Amino acid sequence: MEKKVPITRIGKFFGQEDFDLDIDMGQEWLNGDMNFTLVLYKVDKLRTKNDDVYGEVGPDEIQFLPPIEFKAYVKIVEPNNAYMGSTKIVQTEPGNMTFSVYNRELDSLGIDIDLGDYVAYYETETKVRYYSVVNDGKITSDLKHSYGGYKAFYKTYVCTPVSYNEFRGL
Amino acid sequence: MGFPKKIKKYLPLQPEKVLSARREELLNYIREDGTYLPKSVLHADLDRGMLDFVSNELEIFANGKKVPVVDIIITTQNWSQFTETWNFQDLDNNVSPPFISVVRQPEVKYGSLPSLQYTIPNRKQFYYASVPTWDGQRNGMDIYKIPQPVPVDITFSVKIICNRMRELNTFNKTVLQTFSSRQAYTFVKGHYVPIILDNISDESVMDLEKRKYYIQSYNFTMMGFLIDEEEFEVSPAISRVLTVMEFDTELKKGGKKKYPENPDEFEIPLTYAVGTTSFTQNYYFTADLSYISQENIDTYDIYINGDYYGSDLESIQLTSGDELVISITKDNASLESSLVWQAKLL
Repeated sequence: MEKKVPITRIGKFFGQEDFDLDIDMGQEWLNGDMNFTLVLYKVDKLRTKNDDVYGEVGPDEIQFLPPIEFKAYVKIVEPNNAYMGSTKIVQTEPGNMTFSVYNRELDSLGIDIDLGDYVAYYETETKVRYYSVVNDGKITSDLKHSYGGYKAFYKTYVCTPVSYNEFRGL
Repeated sequence: MGFPKKIKKYLPLQPEKVLSARREELLNYIREDGTYLPKSVLHADLDRGMLDFVSNELEIFANGKKVPVVDIIITTQNWSQFTETWNFQDLDNNVSPPFISVVRQPEVKYGSLPSLQYTIPNRKQFYYASVPTWDGQRNGMDIYKIPQPVPVDITFSVKIICNRMRELNTFNKTVLQTFSSRQAYTFVKGHYVPIILDNISDESVMDLEKRKYYIQSYNFTMMGFLIDEEEFEVSPAISRVLTVMEFDTELKKGGKKKYPENPDEFEIPLTYAVGTTSFTQNYYFTADLSYISQENIDTYDIYINGDYYGSDLESIQLTSGDELVISITKDNASLESSLVWQAKLL
């Protein structure tokens, strides 16, 4: 059985019940009011047959587990207009997406977002952009990710956009 | 063992042309679909030649599809990027990798093609062809002249943008195989234009928190030349020739041919200057010498080949190769003396 140690920090003013209450209120705001929905395409590493040398796969060859919707606080960086290397081809490169998810959301859905997983964000009813997770936010030891130093309560992920040539969902 | 890709399903029935026949064939390429003169080859034609070369000779396939080539040279006018109907755009209308792009360095330098460098000064015109003409009354010819083409070096960067190392490998293999003999050729309006591989560099975007893709740049130098129709010269040739001949109408009697005299007898005068009393001479003919006259001479002694022959003789017999010495005693030593002999060849 897993050994548990009670957290008694700032216990004179704050406790697990307060913590749960605030998370409830936060989720009510995030899920009820904001309702930013993302779809996780978790890469099925067992079924995806990759290249023996480079570990690469071709278009539409990435196998993934059944997609799961989850709620998150989403921030998308504004696009950057730049040349594509030195090709003289101008393109507007979409910005990165940073999203934060309550740990409770992840636990309730039973998901774990890893480096390299794909996340879809529906910009309109028909336009969806896919991102690849480049920072899986596993380490939440910092104060920012804890509730006043009490316990960590969310994770922050950074994702970069991917082209359809790499991944395009279903 | 891999199965060879290049399979000849039939053998050519007509042998390929070589030597002068091949040169005639190349000339026909240059004049194809046009006038007798070659067509202009200017910057845009060379650029198109490079695009065609990349599309055809550096063609690669990825995942069963041909990797598209951006079929224009990207310029400063951004809208021109979208004049082509590119079918490899993503949801943002950005070009979706993998694709190949050709970038030309704007500056075009004077060429390094050895056969054209600073050889003919002052744009001198050279005969190219004589073209028959007919003005409705008579046949004529036009003379076509062209100057030496101007060599140019154009630097191109061919860039492959892709997401996978395998695509990089495939393109790299194709380029290196094509340029294994240092240069390859593109075909521009009937002319073979050499292209040299200069350098390969990498510009891949590998930042952690950016969309990642490979960019590899292959720098080529096209050793081209410019042929400008504006510089051609067409001038009419001579269509009529008037030949004028002039003759001397006076009749002249043919004269007898004269030859220099070749007598059998001739005089041999010997002169003895003041202070000289001896005469020495080698004769290379056989003759009889007969005394004719003398002046201011008392006596004379004759030696042949160093042997004394006689004094005051009136005839001497000489054989070819003899050395004749005649020593005299003068009457008056302060005056010149002379002795004359008549030679008769035997």
